[in-house]
Amino acid sequence: MMELDRIGLVVGRELRAERRQPDGIVAAVTFITVLVLLESLIVGPAVARDADVAPALFWLALAFATILATMRSFDRELEDDALEGLVALPGGRDALFGGKVVALSIVLALVAAVGGILSLVLLDLPLALPFHLVLVVVLGVIALPPVVVVNVVLALRLRARAALVPILALPVLVPQLVAASRGASAAISGDAVGALSWAGLLFAFAVVYSVLGLTIVPAAID
Amino acid sequence: MRKVEASASLRGATVILDDRPILRDVSVELGPGLTLVRGPNGAGKTTLLRAFAGLVPLARGTREMTGDALYIGHRPMLLRGLTARENLTFYVRFRGLAEDGIANALDAWGLGNDLDRPVERLSAGERRRASLARIETERLPVLLLDEPFADLDDPGVSRLRDAIAGAREDGRIVVVATHAHLELDDLAASHIAVDRGIVA
Repeated sequence: MMELDRIGLVVGRELRAERRQPDGIVAAVTFITVLVLLESLIVGPAVARDADVAPALFWLALAFATILATMRSFDRELEDDALEGLVALPGGRDALFGGKVVALSIVLALVAAVGGILSLVLLDLPLALPFHLVLVVVLGVIALPPVVVVNVVLALRLRARAALVPILALPVLVPQLVAASRGASAAISGDAVGALSWAGLLFAFAVVYSVLGLTIVPAAID
Repeated sequence: MRKVEASASLRGATVILDDRPILRDVSVELGPGLTLVRGPNGAGKTTLLRAFAGLVPLARGTREMTGDALYIGHRPMLLRGLTARENLTFYVRFRGLAEDGIANALDAWGLGNDLDRPVERLSAGERRRASLARIETERLPVLLLDEPFADLDDPGVSRLRDAIAGAREDGRIVVVATHAHLELDDLAASHIAVDRGIVA
């Protein structure tokens, strides 16, 4: 069986489990919805509509949503030692990272769609370049999970992982968050070149951390 | 039923977990038939099986295995959120094996009416049965079963004994770590006694 087929099987398994037990996606959607709703109340409607502020808060919320969804995904694996069942399969260690990242990207795309639409509608954001914004969001959604999955795997057997994962992951996510926030801000305010530049950087981050994850997760899982 | 040729061995294997040696310089060769692993709590029985399954890194020594191994640990290793059928289908597909026997295997283990119930809604014994059905759905040449009788009722114990006897007759390597079930001694081709990480 090809590596991509194995990753596809892990993605299917993950999404099916998430559909039946949607704890991760519900927590992430709830979190981002509450943040968008509170945003204009806390900073005031004028500041909340600022092309720099709204994307920054959106991506910060999405980073926490990624951590929530990833933690829940691995918690489910640890119940009944399902993770060990996967790792014991030939090629299981290698498929784990790819499968988790792809599945979490799909889940996050849904969360980002809900949060993004809510932000645009509730904050009445003027959107100059919608396709550029979609590109930035898609690449941002792809760039976040590899970092978080690597950190969750490294902290998997630690009792304090719920506290440690955000502490470990958020500093590493700062470049991605800056690129995603600036890219979204550029798309909202009509700067096509800026949006594409930041999108390119997000793509590079996604590639670098995916390669890193594919390299270290199979060894780290031991 | 096809006969299978398999061998598995550990040579000079040392496993250190949390700075503590769990297995010390263990050399074991497994051949076809049933091998029973016995020893007190904390002796290293589980780690021995996990070392054969490649689930723990060896600090020293080597592991060799011809053919794939099916390791079933203390817990059923089924993903919550999926049904018993979906879990077993995942394992079978991942190994590139035929999927046609899954429903029959689960039925034979008494789960014919629970094929499509998410595993978290099954009892502990039912989850254990679902995981043991993998012996029949994956049909691998090496079986590593760690306390497989836990949570099983009498019919389940009897079904497992039959499955072990069947796998043994197929020429598979079957390794069972268990405290009890002395009746298995009659079926066993060899015994491994583990104590404080050392194989006697």
